[in-house]
Amino acid sequence: MSFDFAVILAKLPQILSGLGVTILIWIAGTLAAAVLGFVIATLRRFGGRPVDVLLQLPIEVLRGTPFLVQIFLLYFGGPYIGLRLDPWVAGLLGISIYGAAYYAEIFRAGYQSVPPGHVEAAECVGLTRNQIITAILLPEMALLVMPPSINMAVILLKETALLSLITVPEMTMTVQAIGSQQYAFVEALVILALVYWALVELANWLGRLAERNLSKLSA
Amino acid sequence: MTWKLFSLLLEASLMTIFVSTVSILLGLVMAIILSGLRMSGNRVAYAGAGVFISFFRGVPLLVQLLLIFNLLPVIGITLPSLATAIIGLSLCTAAYQAENLRGGFEGVAPGLIESAEMAGFTKVQSFIWIRTPIALRVTFPALVNEAILILKASSLVSVVGLIELTKMAQNLSASTYQPLPIFASAGLIYLAINLVVAWIGRRAENALPGLPSR
Amino acid sequence: MSDPAIKVSHVSKQFGDTQVLRDISLEVAPGTVSCLIGPSGSGKSTLLRCMAFLEQATSGNIHIEGEPLGFTDGPGRKRQSPAELRRVRSKIGMVFQQFNLWPHMTALGNVSLALRRVRGMGRAEAEERAMKQLDKVGLKERAHHYPAQLSGGQQQRVAIARALALDPTIMFFDEPTSALDPELTGEVLSVMRELAAEGMTMVVVTHEIGFAASVGNRIAFLDGGRLLFHDTPEVVFAAPREPRLEQFLDTYLDRGAAMLK
Repeated sequence: MSFDFAVILAKLPQILSGLGVTILIWIAGTLAAAVLGFVIATLRRFGGRPVDVLLQLPIEVLRGTPFLVQIFLLYFGGPYIGLRLDPWVAGLLGISIYGAAYYAEIFRAGYQSVPPGHVEAAECVGLTRNQIITAILLPEMALLVMPPSINMAVILLKETALLSLITVPEMTMTVQAIGSQQYAFVEALVILALVYWALVELANWLGRLAERNLSKLSA
Repeated sequence: MTWKLFSLLLEASLMTIFVSTVSILLGLVMAIILSGLRMSGNRVAYAGAGVFISFFRGVPLLVQLLLIFNLLPVIGITLPSLATAIIGLSLCTAAYQAENLRGGFEGVAPGLIESAEMAGFTKVQSFIWIRTPIALRVTFPALVNEAILILKASSLVSVVGLIELTKMAQNLSASTYQPLPIFASAGLIYLAINLVVAWIGRRAENALPGLPSR
Repeated sequence: MSDPAIKVSHVSKQFGDTQVLRDISLEVAPGTVSCLIGPSGSGKSTLLRCMAFLEQATSGNIHIEGEPLGFTDGPGRKRQSPAELRRVRSKIGMVFQQFNLWPHMTALGNVSLALRRVRGMGRAEAEERAMKQLDKVGLKERAHHYPAQLSGGQQQRVAIARALALDPTIMFFDEPTSALDPELTGEVLSVMRELAAEGMTMVVVTHEIGFAASVGNRIAFLDGGRLLFHDTPEVVFAAPREPRLEQFLDTYLDRGAAMLK
């Protein structure tokens, strides 16, 4: 047998457009997930016991079920309750909600890591709750929250590949389509794998860089 | 959503459990071997294990499965979809488990290895009888966590044609036009399995002896 | 005359720029107890570890019962093969300051593992022998306890049983009581006393001057990586005092010299 990678690489513009969609959904979805997760964790931290327990349930459900089932439910099930979504909207929403559950847990651990005395001290000097969150809690937990946050972002990058199964025109779907057009399916998948690999290693490298700078800042 | 449909999902979940269990155990064995290669002091083995781990952690499982599924027949290997699914899942989890084990192996106190050395163990014997059990014991919670991840990830093996819980849900959803209750039920079954696994894991963690006290 | 049990010839050890051992030579006769004493950082533990080839001497040689350990004799100072190293080293049993019991197995498991995996014994035979050793150190009842369930003194006695189970002719003790609470040192020292009385060749790195004075046949005093004295306790402790030794003994006098008088 022989492999012909040239026929795939000839479609570089298409591949790049798929890559663009992947990166766009990844970054937008991760940001949304992190913000949503932070809001949930903050509600759980300050909202009293009922809110804390109430919010734990969806988090456990989202963390205990496969992402694939979640997006199938959203994309194929949604129309039956009047929620007809474009694939990429469903994909972005899915990534954000799924990621939010994990980020909520990361920030929860972050909140728990700050000694209560630090918050009490801030209350004593008259800081408001919002000031305490932004001036005391967030900076103090930053170093602890950073590595799992980066890790989660990388996981979300890989999860975006599943969006091809609900026909989001991201990289996996695009390259697979090229592969079947050109009768070079294996070649297409090899290139696809290599691009993801490079992207993930790049993200890991950037993450380590960010961690190092952050720990220098706080040292 | 009838009981009949739900029981079909339950039946398919047995395949999910089977594929996941076999893959986790195979992956664990591979992860231990990868760890051994990394610590062998041989540069080629170290680099090879490193590339393996980096690749299988760096490429989405979906792409890995598609690649294995399409590549094997091209190089003349035809396997049933069950075997393909297990190979794909176990290669992937091996890389993750090796990374989990790394901390466990690094945490083994040098004195414990020296005492094995003085008792006449070869490097390999010491790896098998001292380092590996200690590393496994210390990283046991990570193994339980990985088991849950693989149970969820096994939903992807539908792309190699294996009918497990997610594929069954897809099929039923297509034939009955009831995606909402069917995917919700599938999700609940995954959740239930994972809660049981987590519960067993906690019980086992408390029951297992021999966590280093110092 | 037969070979000395241990012969240390011109051993020096360097860690980076630090000279830890300087040209140390000494011999240990079979059936005797040698105690290595000296202030912290004097190099006594490093010397013992070199004698077991857990550290490689930068220069110099170690012989165990006439056979080279670690490096082959002759020119070039070549490393021994791992198998040869294991063979010569099997004459030595080692007890560590931190006990180093394997946490994932019971006392019985710790003592029997090497019998099974290194000596190839069956489970029943290995466990029977292990039980005998545990009985000898007074811990038969604790055979099925894990290290985390044992006191420091008990862990150290299991460690001694583990070393003895392999039938060594020489026992090395690296500060065997330094990690123990004071009230637990007695049980370990009494096991070591018994062992000495049975005629085991022992090298003991210790801060227990009383033990060294009463059990040791030879005292080696190290300071700054040099072997300053190597003689009988009577000579070392009563000799016209060299200031370094005097200073050291003063620090430990309350425990040690009181017993000597």
